[in-house]
Amino acid sequence: MTYTFRFGPVLESYRELLAGAWLTIQLSAGAMLLGLVVAIICAWIKTSGPKSLRLIVNGYIEIIRNTPFLVQIFFIFFGLPTLGLRLSPNAAALLAMVVNVGAYATEIIRAGIESIHRGQVEAGLALGLKPLQVFRYVILKPALRTVYPALTSQFILLMLTSSVVSAISADDLTSIANNIQSLTFTSFEVYLVVTLMYLVMSLAFSGLFSMIYRMTFSYPDRR
Amino acid sequence: MNWSSHLGKFRRALALGAVLAVSVGATMAAKAQTVDEIKKKGQVTVGMLVDFPPFGITNLEGQPDGFDADIAKALAKHLGVKANIVPVTGPNRIPFLLTGKVDMLVASLAITPERAKQVAFSDPYAGIRIVVYGKKSAVVKEPSDLKTVTVGVARASTQDVSLTAIAPEGTQIRRFDDDASAVQALLSGQVDVIGAATPVVGEIEKVAPGQFDTKLTLREQVHGIALRPGQDELLKAVNDFVAEQQKSGALAATYKKWVGADLPEMKKP
Repeated sequence: MTYTFRFGPVLESYRELLAGAWLTIQLSAGAMLLGLVVAIICAWIKTSGPKSLRLIVNGYIEIIRNTPFLVQIFFIFFGLPTLGLRLSPNAAALLAMVVNVGAYATEIIRAGIESIHRGQVEAGLALGLKPLQVFRYVILKPALRTVYPALTSQFILLMLTSSVVSAISADDLTSIANNIQSLTFTSFEVYLVVTLMYLVMSLAFSGLFSMIYRMTFSYPDRR
Repeated sequence: MNWSSHLGKFRRALALGAVLAVSVGATMAAKAQTVDEIKKKGQVTVGMLVDFPPFGITNLEGQPDGFDADIAKALAKHLGVKANIVPVTGPNRIPFLLTGKVDMLVASLAITPERAKQVAFSDPYAGIRIVVYGKKSAVVKEPSDLKTVTVGVARASTQDVSLTAIAPEGTQIRRFDDDASAVQALLSGQVDVIGAATPVVGEIEKVAPGQFDTKLTLREQVHGIALRPGQDELLKAVNDFVAEQQKSGALAATYKKWVGADLPEMKKP
């Protein structure tokens, strides 16, 4: 191999890289939490909500799942100001990520909800639980438990896709990497380091997710 | 043998050298083209770039076109001859001129001290500037004011480099992937000002007239018509042409037509 690695300029900017990674983590974690809330509400509407709301949710899901993420970001960052809503790059990035992951997670959670047998719901009602209690304890919790792997891999995917937000000048990890490589011409080295950082972040999120699973969903199973 | 005879020989050698230098200069001057020679030939051969829009392009008919082509044709008309435009490239344009393949260059050649040692430059006939351009309401009178606004640039472009160099510590510089995104950010109000080259500014003025203005000049370069050194008469004719074009407003109109922006103030460096 004839390529001479120059990691010096990359390591010198470790502060910027760490700041970028931290922003990526913040954006991703924020989008996961808010996206989960959006998804649970939308999934409830889709499975048992009023028909008019169901149409709106269906429209939202179809639009988001059938358009590129980059276009959604551009729409929020460049398009919304014409309607009077001006967001900072980071806020626009967070909103775009919430809207995006919300749509995908809705479909995942809906699948979980539909896997719950009707008999279970009827049993809950027969025991005198209120409809909201039935939804929370009898439907949602087992549903989330069933789709947990699919949901968390969607979340990890979200963190990786967040690299796109550099296009609207948010200072995430990829954006910092682009700045460093364009100033020092060490693109291979920068992207190698950044790839490793994304890998570490993904593994950390995976570890966190399996911890949450053990704490939240580990009640006795039918065996 | 004494010092004075040595000195005498040295003086003679110096004198001989001076005579030689003068006569070489004289032969060059004799070889150099004059306005009369160009008129006798009936055409002026002009080298220009065809890959540098909007200054030099190849049009749909495959002919050289653009700002430089218009200037070359106007210059030929001024001299009363036909323009014979020869496409040249960035690296070969000065050799083309110095070896006599073309009479002059109207090739977006930026006037620099290094080039001025090789060729004779006319007064500037065009220029581009890298400017800070933005919302009319943004108050940016000097580089330190940049701290009060958000600035958009295309990542790692000339604009980025020159802007980063003058912007005070703590200026909010938002780096986009290309000029188009930076312009979009300005149009949608996401940034207050951007760093851009004057041709880009011209494009913005076309889509959003009257909303923005130029705040600061970050860098400028002026283009000169280049001739072989020692053609003083021809150079004067070319300078007369440039002055006349300036005065009549034709130069500004041609600049506006191709670049879409007002002709910047040009000073020969």
